[in-house]
Formats: sequence, C-alpha cells, structure tokens
Amino acid sequence: MTLDERTKPAPQSGRPAAAATAKRILPLPVTGQEFVLIGVLIVLWILLGIFTPAFLTPNSIQPLLVSVAPIALIGIGMTFIIITAGIDVSVGGAIMLCAVIVAKTLVSADIPLIGAVALAVAVGLVLGLVNGFLIAYGRVAAIIITFGTANIFQFLALRVFGSSTVNGIPSTLEVFGRGEAGRTLGVPNSFAIMIIIAAVAWWYLRHASGGRHLFAIGGNANAARLVGIKVQPRVLIAYALTGALVGLGACFILASGTATLDQSVGSGKELQVIAAVVIGGTSILGGRGSVIGTVLGAILVQTVTSGVTQLGWPSQLANLFVGIFIIIAVGTDLLRERARRKA
Amino acid sequence: MTLVNETTHIQVPKNPKKRGGRSVLSRGVEALLTNRVVLLAVLIVVVLVVMTILDSAGQLSGAYNADYLASSLISAVPLAMLGMAQLLVILSGKGGIDLSVGSIVSLTGILFGFAYGPGGWDFVPALILAVVAGGVFGAVNGVLIAYIGFPPLIATLATYYAYRSLALVISNQKPVSSESIQNFYSAAQSVEIPVIGATIPLIPLGIFTFLIPTIIVVWIVLNKTTFGRRLYAIGTNDVAAQWSGINVRPNRMAVYAISGVISGLVSVVTVAQFASARPDAGTSGNGMALPAITIAVLGGVAITGGIGRVSGIVLATLLIVWLNAGILLALPGNDGSQFQLLALGLVLVFASLLNGLTKRKYGGI
Repeated sequence: MTLDERTKPAPQSGRPAAAATAKRILPLPVTGQEFVLIGVLIVLWILLGIFTPAFLTPNSIQPLLVSVAPIALIGIGMTFIIITAGIDVSVGGAIMLCAVIVAKTLVSADIPLIGAVALAVAVGLVLGLVNGFLIAYGRVAAIIITFGTANIFQFLALRVFGSSTVNGIPSTLEVFGRGEAGRTLGVPNSFAIMIIIAAVAWWYLRHASGGRHLFAIGGNANAARLVGIKVQPRVLIAYALTGALVGLGACFILASGTATLDQSVGSGKELQVIAAVVIGGTSILGGRGSVIGTVLGAILVQTVTSGVTQLGWPSQLANLFVGIFIIIAVGTDLLRERARRKA
Repeated sequence: MTLVNETTHIQVPKNPKKRGGRSVLSRGVEALLTNRVVLLAVLIVVVLVVMTILDSAGQLSGAYNADYLASSLISAVPLAMLGMAQLLVILSGKGGIDLSVGSIVSLTGILFGFAYGPGGWDFVPALILAVVAGGVFGAVNGVLIAYIGFPPLIATLATYYAYRSLALVISNQKPVSSESIQNFYSAAQSVEIPVIGATIPLIPLGIFTFLIPTIIVVWIVLNKTTFGRRLYAIGTNDVAAQWSGINVRPNRMAVYAISGVISGLVSVVTVAQFASARPDAGTSGNGMALPAITIAVLGGVAITGGIGRVSGIVLATLLIVWLNAGILLALPGNDGSQFQLLALGLVLVFASLLNGLTKRKYGGI
C-alpha cells in the first residue's frame, strides 16, 4: 500500500456519510455511476430494438433476465468482497462444484426443490468459508488464495463429474428455468428472487452497521481495526455470503440449461461476475461500491452478449465489448475521481 | 529443551547455542523459509527422490529418468517465460499483475501465424511482428495502469477479454496453419547439445532459443541496469521513488510493455509446439496467466511488490514442471491432469501462506 492510498480517507464511512445517504435515498436510491449505466442501458436497448426488431419482445427479454439472475446474484456477494478490498476468482470452480453435486444428487435420489437448493447453498457456503478463513486469518492476498482454491474446487468438481457430462437431470429446479414454469406474471422467478436478495443486500450495505463496517474495512483495514470493527469475522462473512449465493446461482444456471450438465458450466463466470461488479462502479481498491450498480452491470454485460448474437455477429465479439465497457466504466470513474480531487 | 544438558556434558565452545540462543535447527528453518531458492531446491530434490522411489517400486506407468525429465522441460519454456513477465509486473507494485498474458499469447500467435503462414513472411520479420505486437498490446495495459490510474487487475481483465475476443474473431475461431508453420514444429523438438551432448539427455530446442536468452536478459535488466533498480524502488514504495527523482509512470508502463513482449515471444514458442497458430493457445482451460502467477508466487515474488528474483522463478518452474511430469506418470490420462490442477492449487495456497508467515516471522521473504 502506498502513502497516498493510506492517507486517503475511508469514503462513505461513519456518521456524516450515513446522514448524507439517508438524505439521498428519499428521492432516488441511485448515484452518479448508476445514472450513467441506466442511460447506457436505455440507449443500448433502443438501438438493439431498432436494429433487431425481436429484441424488445418478451421472448427475448425473458431469457435475458434469466441469464442476468445468476451473474447479478453472485455479483451481490462479490460486491461485498470487493468493498472490503478483496476479490474472489474461485467463483467459476465453486459454481462447477455446486452444480455437479446437485445434479448428481438429483439424478440418483428423488429430493424436493427445497432440498436441492439447500444442498447447493450449503456446499457453496462451505467453499466460501474455506476462502474466507484462509484470507481473513491467513492474512494473504485474496487473489492468490482464490486462484489456488479455484483449482482445488475445479479438481473436486471433476472428480465428482467422473465422466464428461451428467445426463438426465430431473426437472426439479425448473421453477428457476427459462420455461413457462420459471415465470410468475411473465417475470422469471430467478430474476425476481435476485431482485429481492439485492434489495436486502442494498439495505444492509447502506443502513446496517455491519454493512457500513465493510466500507470502513475496504477504505482502511487498519483504521477500521483501531476503531473497534471486528475485521476478520466481517471479511469471513463476505466470502461465506458469496459462497452461499454461488450455491443458489449454480441452481439458477443448472435450471436454465437442458437436462445435461457438462464441465464447462462455471468456466469464465468469475470474470463475468467481476466485470459486472466493476462496470457497476464498485472500486476494486475497496471502500466504495453499490449493489444496484452491480445488478445494472450484470444486465449490461448480458445485454451486450445477447445483443451481439441477435445482430448475427460472431458471439466472441461480445467479450471485446465487455472489455471496452470495463475500460469506459472504470476510466470515467477514475477521471471523475481525479476531477473531484482537483476541485 | 536439552540444550543445557548438552553443554554441561560436552563443555566445549562449539555448542549449538549461538546468537540469542538459537539452535542449528531453528537457523536452518529460518534459512529454508527466508531463502526461497534454498527451499525450492530442497523441494525439487524431494520431488525427484519421491518419484524415483515410486518408479523403482513399479508404481509409475513410465520411467521417471533423466531423459523423461529433460523432455518434460518443453513445458517449462512458456511457463518460465511468462513467470518472468509476472515477476516484472508484480515487482512494480501497486497491485501489479497481468491477467492478459494468455490472451496476448493467443492474439500475437494468430498474427505471427498469418504472417509466417499464409502471409509468406520470412521467420525473422514474422518474429519481430509478434514481439512488436506483443509490446504494443502490453503497452496498452501500461498506459491504462500507469497514466490513467487503472488498478492492474481491472486493466488486464478488460484487455484479457478484448484480446481473447480479437484472437477468436480475426481467426474465425480456426487454427491458422500452413506448410511452413507445420515445418516450424522442428523448433520445438529436442536436440543434442554440442560437445557434451552424448553424455546428457536431449534437451528441447526452445530452452536454448527462447528460455535461456529471456532468463539472461531479464536477469541483467533487473540486476545490472538502472531500470531494474528503479523497478525495485517503485515496487517497494512508489511515493518514495518519486521523491528520489524516479519518473514512476514511464517505468511502470515499461514493465507491462515488456510483459507483452515476452508474451509475444511465448506465442511463437506455442505455434511451434502446436504446429499451428491456435486462437485459444493462451486461454484454453485455465489459461496461461494462472500458472504464470503461481510460478511467480511460488518463486518468492511478494504480491505487494518490490521483492522477487529470477532464480526463484527458474527453480519454481522446474519444481512445477517435474512435479506435473511425475503426476502424469503416477496417474495417467484424465486423472493425471485433474491431479495436476489439485497440485497447482495446493502449491499456490501453501506458497502464499508461507510468504505471509515468513514475512511476519522474519520480515521479508
């Protein structure tokens, strides 16, 4: 950590900031970066609506929301982690392990929906606790530890897989799926659940003392410790929460596919999630971020992916746009920060 | 402790108590933990001994001998080179890391493939193209990080996406190949070293043409040039470096450009190894960045910057490569590659825990 980072005050922590937010939430619970994102999304949707007439129809929007749900859901947990100045790149491996354990269990035993979800969340929670424990109490760089555990989770998942695919998964999870059974009043259930969890997470980060502590830890962990915040348990909880959300997200992903699960299930998901979070305005250096931004970021990433396919462009081009969006989103934020410091 | 008893029995000055009453054992442990080169050398010997014992007990599917170890060095070429790239960027501090190396390998490999294959360029211009292109792609990271202030993780994540996408799109997701590229496979083969060649096993050519020159250049840059000294200074404390008259930004940008140059060189190596330019050469599976970062951390590079040595990278690569080669013989096929994942993960977790422990206990790596 360099001098100028250390001397920077922890943003948005403590009383005055809380009072300011309380004033701000009354009209609209969104801030600068989020307005920009909403604007970009509206422009994108209008453009896509013009160039691909099928885009702004329920048949196109509903699958889009289904694909947003797991990314945004896991992104909520990742937002908590990144606010504490951490990161978790083991999400892909964890999704793979949760999904294959649930899929294998569903194939071999007749368990109800609630059992399957509980199993996935429990597995994810354990994986998150492993990460959190190593990072909080081992006091090592989160990116290195989670790179390591990513490999270990992936290894375990491949051992559970046994063969390259799991076939004939029963439709127990279809209430989270793309089909008719996965919707209530036209809104995908998985998306609705994600929004509810996002609302709770938003409230927790903005108004609960535990949430405020996460910002303080990310702003300056040593200062947070000195004012009496229990840093290690809070960090542990952030990773454990992400693990649990990975479990639920794995159920969503499992439900949105066919009755076959293959080994590519989690591949690249960690980067998609991190992309959604940073596009949503959460600072990778910690201390600043929002759940609403993450949800919007996830919608943006999936809109781009879906839009590229619907325009008939090579699907791989979507990644180029995601990369460009990351640079634009983080770049404008950096320039704004610089202007603010000069002013 | 029996120290007191021993001294009373022996009653000679050469008792194990020295400097603050520490035993030979505790000093040995300190040397092992604080000097990463010693630790890695010991671990390499342990791997070699264990595998040789397994071999003589008939537990391996093939012979774990000098020939096998020498031929397995083929995978050390890209690993050690990219480990060297990560050494430079992580050294530069402020969260320095390069996730985009694999994508740069893919993209420059495709450019090299188009030039050398269908383009009909000669080898040297095509190689220069790959190196220059790699440097430019790395410099993009460098500008974002050093001049605009992007966190390295985010800048290289974005370019990881962008370069990977470009590699797949411009190649139409198909490998680029031609007769000249297939003949280029000879560059990845093993050769006999002149003079002493008959007495030692055949060594992959890439070790001499790519890896050793890279090691030497990086070592000289880090240890014998002012740029290298500046890099350690910036990585340790960039504000202090700024005040001592170092222009931090161009130096920080340069390491990312160098990382790109090394990735460009690696792309030529991988084209030779696959006998075609694959658009996913650096990103398939877990990609090349993860093993490279593992090598760097295992080699004793401090993730906070400012600490790290070339020798650590070289020994860490040998450890990983020979461990992987042994795993492949002990558990052939799918099992082997799965257990390689486990080994890499465990090694990374333990290496970083060890780095943290040594730092707390002895200060520094």
